[in-house]
Amino acid sequence: MDVMSSSLQQQRVVVEQLRREAAIDRQTISESCAKMMKYITEHEQEDYLLTGFTSQKVNPFREKSSCTVL
Amino acid sequence: MSEAAVPASNANANATEKMASLVREAENLKTKLEEERQKLNDVNLSNIAERLEQIAYVNIKPRKVLKGHQAKVLCTDWSPDKRHIISSSQDGRLIIWDAFTTNKEHAVTMPTTWIMACAYAPSGNFVACGGLDNKVTVYPITSDEEMAAKKRTVGTHTSYMSCCIYPNSDQQILTGSGDSTCALWDVESGQLLQSFHGHSGDVMAIDLAPNETGNTFVSGSCDRMAFIWDMRSGHVVQSFEGHQSDVNSVKFHPCGDAIATGSDDSSCRLYDMRADREVAVFAKESIIFGVNSVDFSVSGRLLFAGYNDYTVNLWDTLKSERVCLLYGHENKVSCVQVSPDGTALSTGSWDYTIRVWA
Repeated sequence: MDVMSSSLQQQRVVVEQLRREAAIDRQTISESCAKMMKYITEHEQEDYLLTGFTSQKVNPFREKSSCTVL
Repeated sequence: MSEAAVPASNANANATEKMASLVREAENLKTKLEEERQKLNDVNLSNIAERLEQIAYVNIKPRKVLKGHQAKVLCTDWSPDKRHIISSSQDGRLIIWDAFTTNKEHAVTMPTTWIMACAYAPSGNFVACGGLDNKVTVYPITSDEEMAAKKRTVGTHTSYMSCCIYPNSDQQILTGSGDSTCALWDVESGQLLQSFHGHSGDVMAIDLAPNETGNTFVSGSCDRMAFIWDMRSGHVVQSFEGHQSDVNSVKFHPCGDAIATGSDDSSCRLYDMRADREVAVFAKESIIFGVNSVDFSVSGRLLFAGYNDYTVNLWDTLKSERVCLLYGHENKVSCVQVSPDGTALSTGSWDYTIRVWA
């Protein structure tokens, strides 16, 4: 009987979880991905790994040049 | 009629009936979920992205090599100051590096090997770490002697701790473990604030949603699933399947409404939370080795992935095409992470080194 009630309890948890997941709001891929693309295009200019640095001088990880101005 | 008066056989029949009805409901809900998700599948992401220009050329070069660990590098984390990196290794040591100069600023030896996770606190004044010791330990960043003396054990799992992050402030730590759970701990008291049950395999990775009030996180597990959790209720909000093997890495897209995963099945995937489904698979026939770690560039256009074949692959998130490969490591790439300002990528490897690319 204990085995039965514990597996009943487990199954209840599974069903409750599925109910919650079934109840969420969803959007179509075209709507949602358009938003993601908008975010990306709005932030591309500040994405140094994507667009590179305007000048290597602003790259904090560049190799220091061997000559320095005193 | 009182419970006691019900003959055992009746009670059994009753329970069996309830069970059958619950199983039926679960099946119906699963079918409904699949139908709903399918309805929203109106177009492919790569088709929408066709009008975008190709990423022509990415100028990312190896800039620094951080040498000092005596065994596999398992985890790294950028400091909020965008300059320092903490790394943890199989050798049982934590090292804090100045990534600009490659100098080691601190080194701490822990009473364990395989420190699988390390994370900076938001203030940059503490680090949390742990691994095969099953614990999450916090160190203040001061002198080496003081670090060891002032360490504090915050939480303990019943199996190894695979990942940790500070969700909101220096006051709380979220951990994932080989015991299949995630846990939220109060740093000061060491109290377990919330535990997260649901995975049926080792939790390998967690990440925090970037845009909200810090109440949503994602976990990836050896049960091949990625779960989105509500930190307050402790409930799974969404679950994503598709991978054929362990999910080793999960990361939120910077827009906050999608996640990327990396798996032993040698693919990365993109799941859209609003559409509640997988929207892209990043794979190639020629790629046959597992993915250990993924991260996005700051715009989310690039997805970096570290593989067991010693390479880092750069994927175009939108077109699902590979942009290029980064070669340099001489063993498995265990961790990849973009710096907080997006200027650099750090990679840690089983070749004992950490490299910085920019």
